[in-house]
Amino acid sequence: MFNMEQHLHLILPVILPVAAGGAMLAGKPLKENKRAGRVVLLLALGLELLLVAQALMKGGGMVFWHLTGTMELAFQIDEISVLFAALTSGIWLLVGIYGISYMSFEHRENQFFGWYLVVLGVLIGLDFSGNLLTMYVFYELMTLTSLPLVLHERTHQAVMAGLKYLFYSVAGAFLALFGIFFLAGIAESLTFVPGGTVTREIIAGKEGLFLGAVVCMIIGFGAKAGMFPLHGWLPTAHPEAPAPASAVLSGIITKSGVLAVIRVVFYIVGPDNLRGTWVQNVWILLSLLTVFMGSMLAYKEPMLKKRLAYSTVSQVSYILFGLSVLNPVAFAGALSHVMFHSLIKNALFLCAGAVIVTTGRKQVNEMKGLGKIMPKALLCYTIVSLGLIGIPPLCGFVSKWYLAAGALASDTGVWSFLGPAVLLISALLTAGYLLPVSLNGFFPGEDLPCGDCMPKEQGKKEPSLSMLVPIGILTAGTLLSGIFPQSFFAMLTGIAERVF
Amino acid sequence: MKEMMLAAPVFLPLAGGAALLALSGRQREKDGPAVRIISGVFTLGVSLVIFWLLNRSPKDSLVLFRLYGSLTVKFQMDPMGSVFLGLIGFLWPLATLYAFEYMKYEERKPAFFAYYLMTYGITAGIALAGNLVTLYLFYEMLTLVTFPLVLHPMTKEAQRASRKYLYYSISGAAFAFIGLVFLLSYSATGTTEFIAGGNLNMEAARGQKNLLLLAYILAFFGFGVKAALFPVHGWLPKATVAPTPVTALLHAVAVVKSGAFAILRLTYFSYGTEFLKGTWAQWAVLSATIITIAFGSTMAVREIHWKRRLAYSTISNLSYILFGAALMSPLGIMASLCHLMAHAFMKICSFFCAGAVIHQTGKTFVYELDGLGKRMPVTFACLTVASLSLMGIPLFAGFISKWNLIHGAFSLGTGWTKGMGRILPFMGAGVILYSALMTGIYMLTVLVRAYFPKDTSGGPDRTETEENISDPGWRMLLPLMVFAAVILLMGIKPEVFLQMDRLRQIGGTIG
Amino acid sequence: MSFVQNFPFFSIIIAMFSGIISSVLSGKKARNVTFGAILIILILSAGVLHFCSGQGSYTYMMGHFPAPWGNEIRAGVLEGLTAVFFCLVMLLSVLGGMKHTEQDIESSKHNLFYIMVDLMLSSLLALIYTNDLFTAYVFVEINTIAGCGMILIRQKGRSLSSAIRYMILSQLGSGLFLIGLSLLYDVTGHLLMSPAKEAVAVIEAAGTYGIPMLVIVAVISVGLAIKSGLYPFHYWIPDTYGYATPAASAILSGLVSKGYIFLLIKIFYRVLGQENVIASQIVNVLFVFGLAGMVMGSLHAILERDMRRMIAFSSVAQIGYIYMGIGLGTQAGMIAAIFHIFTHSATKALLFISAVGLYEVSGDRKDYKSLRGSGYRNPLAGIGFGIGALSMVGFPMLSGFISKLLFATSALQSPSKMLPTLIVLAVSTVLNAVYFLRMVITIYSIPREKEKSMKEGESLPGSWNLRLAITCFILLNLTLGLFSQPIVKAIGNGLAMFA
Repeated sequence: MFNMEQHLHLILPVILPVAAGGAMLAGKPLKENKRAGRVVLLLALGLELLLVAQALMKGGGMVFWHLTGTMELAFQIDEISVLFAALTSGIWLLVGIYGISYMSFEHRENQFFGWYLVVLGVLIGLDFSGNLLTMYVFYELMTLTSLPLVLHERTHQAVMAGLKYLFYSVAGAFLALFGIFFLAGIAESLTFVPGGTVTREIIAGKEGLFLGAVVCMIIGFGAKAGMFPLHGWLPTAHPEAPAPASAVLSGIITKSGVLAVIRVVFYIVGPDNLRGTWVQNVWILLSLLTVFMGSMLAYKEPMLKKRLAYSTVSQVSYILFGLSVLNPVAFAGALSHVMFHSLIKNALFLCAGAVIVTTGRKQVNEMKGLGKIMPKALLCYTIVSLGLIGIPPLCGFVSKWYLAAGALASDTGVWSFLGPAVLLISALLTAGYLLPVSLNGFFPGEDLPCGDCMPKEQGKKEPSLSMLVPIGILTAGTLLSGIFPQSFFAMLTGIAERVF
Repeated sequence: MKEMMLAAPVFLPLAGGAALLALSGRQREKDGPAVRIISGVFTLGVSLVIFWLLNRSPKDSLVLFRLYGSLTVKFQMDPMGSVFLGLIGFLWPLATLYAFEYMKYEERKPAFFAYYLMTYGITAGIALAGNLVTLYLFYEMLTLVTFPLVLHPMTKEAQRASRKYLYYSISGAAFAFIGLVFLLSYSATGTTEFIAGGNLNMEAARGQKNLLLLAYILAFFGFGVKAALFPVHGWLPKATVAPTPVTALLHAVAVVKSGAFAILRLTYFSYGTEFLKGTWAQWAVLSATIITIAFGSTMAVREIHWKRRLAYSTISNLSYILFGAALMSPLGIMASLCHLMAHAFMKICSFFCAGAVIHQTGKTFVYELDGLGKRMPVTFACLTVASLSLMGIPLFAGFISKWNLIHGAFSLGTGWTKGMGRILPFMGAGVILYSALMTGIYMLTVLVRAYFPKDTSGGPDRTETEENISDPGWRMLLPLMVFAAVILLMGIKPEVFLQMDRLRQIGGTIG
Repeated sequence: MSFVQNFPFFSIIIAMFSGIISSVLSGKKARNVTFGAILIILILSAGVLHFCSGQGSYTYMMGHFPAPWGNEIRAGVLEGLTAVFFCLVMLLSVLGGMKHTEQDIESSKHNLFYIMVDLMLSSLLALIYTNDLFTAYVFVEINTIAGCGMILIRQKGRSLSSAIRYMILSQLGSGLFLIGLSLLYDVTGHLLMSPAKEAVAVIEAAGTYGIPMLVIVAVISVGLAIKSGLYPFHYWIPDTYGYATPAASAILSGLVSKGYIFLLIKIFYRVLGQENVIASQIVNVLFVFGLAGMVMGSLHAILERDMRRMIAFSSVAQIGYIYMGIGLGTQAGMIAAIFHIFTHSATKALLFISAVGLYEVSGDRKDYKSLRGSGYRNPLAGIGFGIGALSMVGFPMLSGFISKLLFATSALQSPSKMLPTLIVLAVSTVLNAVYFLRMVITIYSIPREKEKSMKEGESLPGSWNLRLAITCFILLNLTLGLFSQPIVKAIGNGLAMFA
């Protein structure tokens, strides 16, 4: 049925982190020993990066399990897999390194890392998925295995936030499942094919249902991406988790919602079947609404991590907006924003985490004078913030440019200029909610230092090197990809061409 | 000779039960090994006979005696009956093993095991029934042998519960009886024989179509009492006062599935889908099942008593089965049987976990379960498997049956261009997914509590007794682990472990 | 003429004579005589049944006096069957209630009770066999007197007032019946059934006497309905059955009311003509009251706390079933009704007798609380009560199921009455379940701790005759439930012979 040796390179990247994580969770010697845990974590993450790279290079596809005659689980590597899997394993390694020193301030370190590794395996499986069913399997597993990361603190709020996360995700997944069931009934196969597999003939006579199912899937998978109306979990869950967890939750796991939407719309349903329908309008409306709402809420939010979480809500919907206009340029922009936002948001959360562990400050208005304490971290924060706002030459500018250009070129009527307008307003709001931290941090003004918000011992107190380095790398990535986006965009445009 | 063996699974347990009852008269309150030996030997023996039968599957039927006129008590094995028979034949010995441990400290053991054993026989009788009258007979007898089990704790609550159970069941039978009488009068063969595709004289039936449909609905709800259909579900949550082996095996599998099984027989083998399909009766029963699914899972979320919560979950899950039945298509019955098997394992596993917790700690409410996941790791691992399966997470058994159900619903829905047929199947699919979400809520909150207790700064505020909590003995753990393993196997390799081909065949022959 | 043909007459006479002999004997001897007499009559009736199923029905002129002077007896399959059955129930009821009969009644009056039993039996047999309307009336009165005697003889509790109530309502019924008879005699000039029927046919064909005929049908039906306790004329039932000695309750509920119903059916078929009765719409009235009785009787029973009164109210419901069957106005309905007469006598007597066994071990208290756990203290009585209750609920394999099945299938044949019948049947089953099964649960639940001490060790299996009676009743029930086919066939044959 399946040829083990030939396809080992596809299976191994999924198995390895799960096995390593499982060993850390269950194995007696590993469970208690912090040092051994760290070693295993780093080894596993490093090896995983290599394995993923090798798998992406080799490519290929395979059916690895037949559930029933018609239901198969399969892996298949295409450009989207490459993009997401490379991003995921890279970020995971960086955040893992950061996490080692961050988590030394928390309890149950190894339990956290165990689940952290398991989630990685599941995410790689999600990226490799070759058909809708496999993707759904890993999507559900991702929800369940990432839950312990949110629950890690075990405070009342954390448990409540975890449950909220769980139920929103599950609700979204089941909403999407409705659509999957429908597509399974009508489509010949659920294998991902660029441009979609659903033809006009198949849906003839049941267009209404078909569109309904698609809307269900977009909203359902959109839950993970924090799209309105199922966005409620995000600002609650992300801040409750430890910083490494919130970083990857915001940076990567929300993107798996985006991945799912891409797979559904561009690899099964086909963009042509949606163009000009009410579904597209609803989708655009929802994503723009989310963009605006997320920014507004972030602007009003006093707690830093929560503010960043709202920012994620808004930013991920940039991506969804880019997808929803069904235009190749915007599509490329959306894919690039997946990558860029991931870099930026991870860096932001890691900075926030660094602030918390070094100074214990969580509120935005406590950040005054931070530049005196940890200038390097705050510098990185400022750079990536500018990137998110979209200041050239940083990467956010490039992706937003493509998004706006694509939207304007698309034939979506009023949306084609309303969309870019909303993006612009949101960018202003982004500046409004991100920059005060930097401003107050570097230029506290006259009335500082006050007794409470400055530590007793004056002077620098940078976070440890293992925390700073990942932040630095992410910042560098933000800079470099903004300055040299050509080859990256060539690849994305290639994908867009195949898809449309 | 082979067909004589058909009576064995029914009468062996009854004989064993009688022997145990005689024992209870002799040495009441005494717990010698005799009780365990007799019930163990009989249960195993009956299961062996059942598997022998499944292996040989005798073609002939066995007419035991004539009740009245053309009403005979008749046993017969057909593919659908074998599914149910095999299911109980597998579950019963394990559940009995569990009961040995669970009932260790309970009073009146001989009586308990006597009725437990007798229920086995009666349920086998339902699976083997060759016509509707035999089914009806055993359906009534099932009420009788199971009510002492509900009454067993003898508390005031148990009395009330058993009374309610009796009223509901007997009333249900009274309405099922109307359906039976109509079938007898309009049958094609003059008997109530089960015939794949229905046993109605279409000529005669056409004239009285609405009347017969009404009779069908009455019978559907009548048998639906045992299957806990809304609004006649009330007895099931109350009946959880019974000892856990009873709630688990009887009120999650044997009794309630008998109701569902009876409805399958009624729909596919008596009235026939040809007659029912597309009528207002189909829409009525379909709506009823949809309402029940939504109701059951919503109530389960509101309930904080663990076993009652599981009972509400049973209510909603049974209506999955009935939903499949009411689809009245080959896919429908396939999905229905699929869920019948899958749910049996999932629910019995969940109940047994609840029972293990009650047995080890005495805790019955969900909010008391904090942190037990660490102390009873095996139990809660099994519960995790069962919960995820109930939710319908892929790679677990529940997903397969849910997939089939919704697939069936969609293929029914797309076959209609207007009217109720256009709307209801999709509503059903939607409600099933809603219910899956609710399942997630009511099952996973338990798990989250158990595994991730709220951290009271890690302080040692646990009492001495809580320190001593551990997994129960092997007699309870073995069934649990077997069930969990089966759920996993069913989900990972349904073709083999759910016998999908066979189910498809059943669907093909009668749908 | 075969010798067997004398048997009906012999049965009546033997019963009467044993009554007369009992009056001069002591209690114990009277009892033995009575038992002997019932046994002999049972055998004789079986002979009649056998003869009739081979040779068909016949009429028997007493002393070979031809009409209009002579007195006639008619025997057929149905009469034979009913006689056998009534004897059996009578025998077992007296047997089962024997111990209580002796406790409840002053020892000097024991023989009096057996006189009443004998008189009752002879009058019942006469009601069954008679082919003469006036004889029927005479024995109706004798029956009433015997019934009153049976109630009154237990001089405890409210038996006096209940006997008076019974007397008054019974007399009202008898009076109405008599009026009906007189009118009929006026119109037809005959008291023997066969010639009267011919005369009725002539009248109907001529179309004269429309209103008098209607009145006759109505008055006779109502009169006998009152006597048999059809709702809403049931007020005498609960007190009467509830306070009489158990044997008397069993006989009164199981047999006496059925005797009147049997007479009514006989008059319908053999005098008035079934088709005329149906045409007169009286059946519809009976049907409606039957349905009402089925529901109301059960509702009353649900509210009742006293076990015996509860069983008595259940009789009201069961009488309702029978009238419903008659009211369906079809052959099948009539068969169902007659079968239910058998079912109900066997079951109700079983319930009364088992109840004795149960409250015997509960300090003679009959409320729910005291009866708790009595099923363990007297296991056989518990099983008997359980089986009786299940039979009433219509559990398959027991007699009640067959009645229910017959009622339901016959209802399907009359389209206009089908739905109400089926629905009320279902509802009534539910209600039956409510009160009977509540009692079953009560007798099988273990008493609370503080009550336990009172009754511990009071575990009596009951006297041998009680056990024998219960066992026989259970077997009778099972027989009716499992081998009903020949009985139903015989009823059908018997009804065919009526016409």
